[in-house]
Amino acid sequence: MAKDMVRLENVSKKFGNTYAVEQLNLDIKTGEFLTLLGPSGCGKTTTLRMIAGFEKPNEGNIWINGEKVDKVEPYNREVNTVFQSYSLFPHMTVAENVAFGLKMKKVSKQEIAKRVKEALELVQLANFADRKPKKLSGGQQQRIAIARAIVNNPQVLLLDEPLGALDLKLRKQMQLELKQLQEELGMTFIYVTHDQEEALTMSDRIVIMNQGKIEQMGLPDEIYEKPATKFVADFIGETNLFEGTVMDANPSFATMKCGGRHISIPNTGNFSKNERVYMSIRPEKIHVSAQAGEEDNLLSATLKDEIYIGSVTKIIGEFPDGQKVIAHGSRDILKSCTRGDQLYLHWEPADSVVFEMKEKMEV
Amino acid sequence: MREGTRKTLFIFTLLVFAFFYIPILVLMVFSFNDSKIGTVWTGFTFDWYIRLFSNSQIIDAAFNSLFIAVVTTIISTVLGTLAALTLHRYGFPGKRTVGFVFYIPVVIPDIVLAVALLVLYSFLNVKLGLATVIPGHVVFATSFVILVLLARLAGLDRALEEAAKDLGANEWHTFWKVTLPLIYPGILAGALLAFTISLDEFVVAFFTTGPGSNTLPVLVYSMVRRGVSPEINALSTILILAVVFVIAIVGWRMNKMNKQEGEV
Repeated sequence: MAKDMVRLENVSKKFGNTYAVEQLNLDIKTGEFLTLLGPSGCGKTTTLRMIAGFEKPNEGNIWINGEKVDKVEPYNREVNTVFQSYSLFPHMTVAENVAFGLKMKKVSKQEIAKRVKEALELVQLANFADRKPKKLSGGQQQRIAIARAIVNNPQVLLLDEPLGALDLKLRKQMQLELKQLQEELGMTFIYVTHDQEEALTMSDRIVIMNQGKIEQMGLPDEIYEKPATKFVADFIGETNLFEGTVMDANPSFATMKCGGRHISIPNTGNFSKNERVYMSIRPEKIHVSAQAGEEDNLLSATLKDEIYIGSVTKIIGEFPDGQKVIAHGSRDILKSCTRGDQLYLHWEPADSVVFEMKEKMEV
Repeated sequence: MREGTRKTLFIFTLLVFAFFYIPILVLMVFSFNDSKIGTVWTGFTFDWYIRLFSNSQIIDAAFNSLFIAVVTTIISTVLGTLAALTLHRYGFPGKRTVGFVFYIPVVIPDIVLAVALLVLYSFLNVKLGLATVIPGHVVFATSFVILVLLARLAGLDRALEEAAKDLGANEWHTFWKVTLPLIYPGILAGALLAFTISLDEFVVAFFTTGPGSNTLPVLVYSMVRRGVSPEINALSTILILAVVFVIAIVGWRMNKMNKQEGEV
């Protein structure tokens, strides 16, 4: 088993009276691509800045590569950061920017020249060595920021929403390049983003944060398929959330009642009869048809709207009680349908996830 | 814009420039006038310039002024830079008050500071001389350096300093390799301002200089009291040209630096 590269133990950070990060425990394995994902203000950037050493935790300890770093200044930590705004030095050329870290480490001139060249070749910007960073495009500046960090061969690379300022197409391309780079170098990446798609695409493991705490951590598919909380289900991807009451909680057969409908739910054994719960079902897991089939767990709704989004069509239905439901389907199903027509919805209970209603306060 | 409006604005602009610069132009022209009485043009001459450079009183005063200006510039630039960095970077109790106190010399009348210094010197039994002018100038100039530099620092991305530390630069290296090069244009502008403020400052110099050690403005004042001589015109012309020259050089260099950074 790979050993832990970074370890956070009961780490808390307060700004004024509010916790930005509260009692965080996290182990990051060597060579792992770990993403801290959450809405703005969830504490993900603060966590990253504590690992980099720019913020001191109020409580708890951080270890990097087995070394406790409470008293280690940022410039003595074997981590490098790719900043959100790139933060390239405007008074230095691209090559000087990339060479900065090596110069500080007093690496020999020939060695610096060689490694800078390699790093710039790695990000395909060798021809731009003598330019000033401000003369380059956003995507190019981003690559230089990455080259400037990885040229130092750090134990851990911290990336703070590095692609946030790029346009969609370039962002997608850079996501793949970054992932490739990480695999090539075998370096530990800790990546901060609020873009769930980005997180799902790139990460080995995702940590979902909300209000300074970890909501869930796991593999991308785990997070998507089996969200642990309502917040995660809602934040990652699109989902239908139904509120209801558990009717049956038998080991083989569980149902909940929601707005007059009985819905089969997966029985995880964690619920008791009459308990109020949330159920989440992804739009692509719902099968839509115009005729009633033979399946169990069949619900009827009226067609409210359809939105063509390219690969699939988003079908918006409405249950008799006014509850909306979104499903993904092909256009063919709707050929014979017009708005107001009856639709039949069906899904496997195992594809849905049920949560306790302790999060009643949140929206 | 309508043609009529354009013309009106153009003429208005010309008038403003005329108001600004005609007196100075007249002064410069008459510095070459071959007449003792300054108001009628009688012919071209370099006489006044020659007499100027053979007037030891004026040369002495010029050197005194330069000396004071250089010392003032060095002290106030260093002090102002340190103060601005502190004010920009650190939060401490009374920070707003301290910041405000630095602005006071900019707004209080020169005469108040001049008299205050004079009272202080006599209280401390300090003998007035050339050096006693410097503290007053430093007070003014430092405030201006702080003002200019705070503006530059406000535009400085703190993340750049963090990036330097992230790449292994300690506080010392971060300051010399990143912070200083980035605020250097501000420091230069502040220093230039300090220099010109000190060079043409009259009130404080008049009150706090010792007998026999005149600065240029003080000497000009005492000469003018006996009537404006063309020598003064010649002296003023040289001063104006010198200042314009220095500012042009600095402006050109800063422009070039900005272009290199790609900000323009």
